[in-house]
Amino acid sequence: MTASEPEALELAERALSFATGEAQATVVHERSLLSRFAVSRPTQATQVDDVTISVLRVHDGHTGSADTNESTDEALRDVAARADAAARAAAAAAGAAGDYPGLPGPAPLRSHDGFDARTAALDPREAGIALRTAFDGCAKHDLQAFGIWTAGLVDTAIASSTGIRAHDVLTDAYMKVIARDADGRTGWAADAGTAIAALQPLALAERASAKVTREEPLALEPGEYPVVLEPDAVGTLLDFLGALGFNGLAHTEGRGALVDRLGQRVAAPAVNLSDAPSFVRTLPRAFDAEGVPKAPLPLIQDGVAHAVVHDTRSAARAGTVSTGHALAPGGAPWGPAPTNLVLAGGGAADEAELMAPIERGLYVTRVWYVNTVHEKSALLTGTTRDGTFLVEDGRIGRPIRDVRFTDSILRLLEATEALTAGQRLVADAEFYGRRFATGVVTPALRAHGFRITGQTV
Amino acid sequence: MSDADCSVLDLLTELMASAEGRCAYAEARHVEERGEAIAVLNGGIDALDSSDSQGIGVRVRVGGGWGFAAAREVTRAGAEGALARALAIAQAQPAGPGTPLAPVAPARGHWSSPYEVDPFSLSLEEKLGLLFEAERALRIGDERLVRTVATGRAWRERKAFASTEGAACTQELVAAGAGIAAYASDGAELQMRSYPGAHGGGLAAAGGWEHVRGLELAAHAPRVASEAIELLSAPPCPEGTRTIVLHGEQVALQVHESIGHALELDRILLSEASYAGTSWVSPTDLGTLRYGSEHLHITADATLPGGLGSFGWDDEGVAAKRTELITGGVLRAALSDRESAAAIGLGASGGCARADGFARQPIVRMTNVSLEPGTVPTLADLIADTGDGLYLESNRSWSIDDRRLQFQFATEICREISGGELGRLYRNGSYAGVTPRFWGGLDAVCGPDEWRLWGLTNCGKGEPGQVMEVSHGAAPARFRDVQVGVA
Repeated sequence: MTASEPEALELAERALSFATGEAQATVVHERSLLSRFAVSRPTQATQVDDVTISVLRVHDGHTGSADTNESTDEALRDVAARADAAARAAAAAAGAAGDYPGLPGPAPLRSHDGFDARTAALDPREAGIALRTAFDGCAKHDLQAFGIWTAGLVDTAIASSTGIRAHDVLTDAYMKVIARDADGRTGWAADAGTAIAALQPLALAERASAKVTREEPLALEPGEYPVVLEPDAVGTLLDFLGALGFNGLAHTEGRGALVDRLGQRVAAPAVNLSDAPSFVRTLPRAFDAEGVPKAPLPLIQDGVAHAVVHDTRSAARAGTVSTGHALAPGGAPWGPAPTNLVLAGGGAADEAELMAPIERGLYVTRVWYVNTVHEKSALLTGTTRDGTFLVEDGRIGRPIRDVRFTDSILRLLEATEALTAGQRLVADAEFYGRRFATGVVTPALRAHGFRITGQTV
Repeated sequence: MSDADCSVLDLLTELMASAEGRCAYAEARHVEERGEAIAVLNGGIDALDSSDSQGIGVRVRVGGGWGFAAAREVTRAGAEGALARALAIAQAQPAGPGTPLAPVAPARGHWSSPYEVDPFSLSLEEKLGLLFEAERALRIGDERLVRTVATGRAWRERKAFASTEGAACTQELVAAGAGIAAYASDGAELQMRSYPGAHGGGLAAAGGWEHVRGLELAAHAPRVASEAIELLSAPPCPEGTRTIVLHGEQVALQVHESIGHALELDRILLSEASYAGTSWVSPTDLGTLRYGSEHLHITADATLPGGLGSFGWDDEGVAAKRTELITGGVLRAALSDRESAAAIGLGASGGCARADGFARQPIVRMTNVSLEPGTVPTLADLIADTGDGLYLESNRSWSIDDRRLQFQFATEICREISGGELGRLYRNGSYAGVTPRFWGGLDAVCGPDEWRLWGLTNCGKGEPGQVMEVSHGAAPARFRDVQVGVA
């Protein structure tokens, strides 16, 4: 397998050949390997080789789509016919022209270096070695290891009746280690990148183990605290802002968190957030689900909100053009979203420097089970997990029991006081459905007034 | 069982014969899925998608380690390739102690879920007509309605399963669901209202299109839209400690998050610590732990008609069963698969191994985990008996910690209960609690007339991620001394 293998594009063209009228064929071929471990032993190992072939048909401003994982002519003919029937039924039921503006045309694509041949080999022995290393690394600290190692190769191709012929191959790799002691105290570390060389199992085991102190955790009363959030915590929260604030469809419908706030200060001056699909540490992409080229897009500059992202449909409703953020052919029903968020680093050398001015506050490794409480204010709730500490007199102190926070990510960005210079790729490695590796490149940050609303028992 | 099913089952059976002697255990599943999803938005079609997929997943055990590989080619070569890859993956794992599997009688035969109207036999026009009528009824002429949507969904899953222990069975499940939602905004505030389920309204069940027709979406639409608008000017939910009455659907989600997941034995044994988390329950708690009040009776029942967690056999070939998990507030059993059951010395699996499609391996999942009906005849009776408190309906936000202890939920609707009657409407209703204290405050559950199955189609777990459909039987219930107005 090489990055230039045209199999997916040929398949997309073959699927398109069975479609009539205005149509787009998309092929996503996933090959992946994922090994899980718990209590320092392997528990599950999953290898996937599957493809999704979808056809989007446009008829009188209405769309219909169908997909299959079979690549015979019979299956491709059927999927094209189903898409056609769906689009025609939609048009007939609506009784008027729909608002889909039509498929985009071809445009030059930027190349990227998101392919690694060693990763693409998906050798299960690489996983085995990584797991053993993590087990040994945690065992040195009398801890047990939990986590996953995974690598993937995703080949994406689009062929459309408007002339798009786009092909992209991306490899991705991810490993996380949770170190746990006999009393249930845990620490976390994770690596992500486009190549398995980015995964350092021994260093992960060391970082995770360092979070497991033998002291009894303290209880923290609800209230507002200065906080240092590690990149994993910041990345998760920014991902939510991507959906709540920068979704052009929600924005156009008046549901977004940045409605009437573009051009205004929404964050501290030190906050510079962009969607940067070619940034050096991101998981790069050449085009979106409609074949529209990916390009850097400033979202917040010096604390001022600048833009939301669009797919073709949301752009038409907003009277603008797609920014290349479609998540599904024709645009996902829930709208577009940034997939390559990058928060610029600041001037702090590390997390220790961020903590220095804090008299009494909170240090958070990661957040968990985050959910939206109120869309317009980007109010979120969740808990901390796998390494929460008190900050006292400018230094990390006793571990504290995990706490529940209920706070707005926009308020946190407004309250941001400093950021580390170094950034880390925080990947979403949940991989529901077809593998689609995304991540946020972010530094750690310090903010004031982090709102704690409860604590675990 | 169709000829095609026989052919696939023969393929899997022959594959398992070839696996004998190459591993300690092997199983193979063929899954064929067909789905259709429709969304009508603001008078037009927002999505009209159909999907078809099939493939074979093979799981093997070598030297105490598992290997799983999936192939979309439903051929002898495809199946043998998946088996070979699964063996290679298992062999590449670090060696570990081999743990036993709970014994199981070989699954044989065919099972199918009952339905009256095959949703795939109807024309698209008929299904679109129902949804267009419902969405149109949401648009009641108020410009503050920024989004009105009606959604429908149907799916069919056919499975064949064989193992090196002699299992050879097939099954088919047909399911459908639909719902409506209205979003209202006045610029500063955004509120939504859904029917019959939360988060957009969809409520699914194992069954045919008759389930969708029975929801009577259009009849409920004007009320749903009016409530969304009314919420814009409602005062915020008060803060404090109150008696609350939860609508049945919110009780179902509460059962799902703070009981169902907590009783998954893989979580209890730390196997899910990497992602979903662990549990506040330990294996030694079975039989003794007081989980809640004497009104708390919880079952896991994979035989319930209409349940999305119903089947003939789970994905390890264990026959569907009904298990009492909690009786009179005391923990009796956990949800288990063959490996986790054997790990704590149980003689049989709880029959809860389920996989998302052919390309994922089975893990411990809920079936239909339900709060059994109580004795209060109706919701009106429960409200009347309550005196003062809050009534909360339709989930809007949910979050719970990784041990399934501390949770915080928000709902679309929150109404004052005053003098035994429903009173003023509040917006952004929310409550929080800690699992055993919360269930310890349960003091009344409505009876069979108010009890129904609530389908939940977005339960996420596992790595790579698996989405599972489950149902929860629940009726409105009352809880004392609950923290409210937390968000």
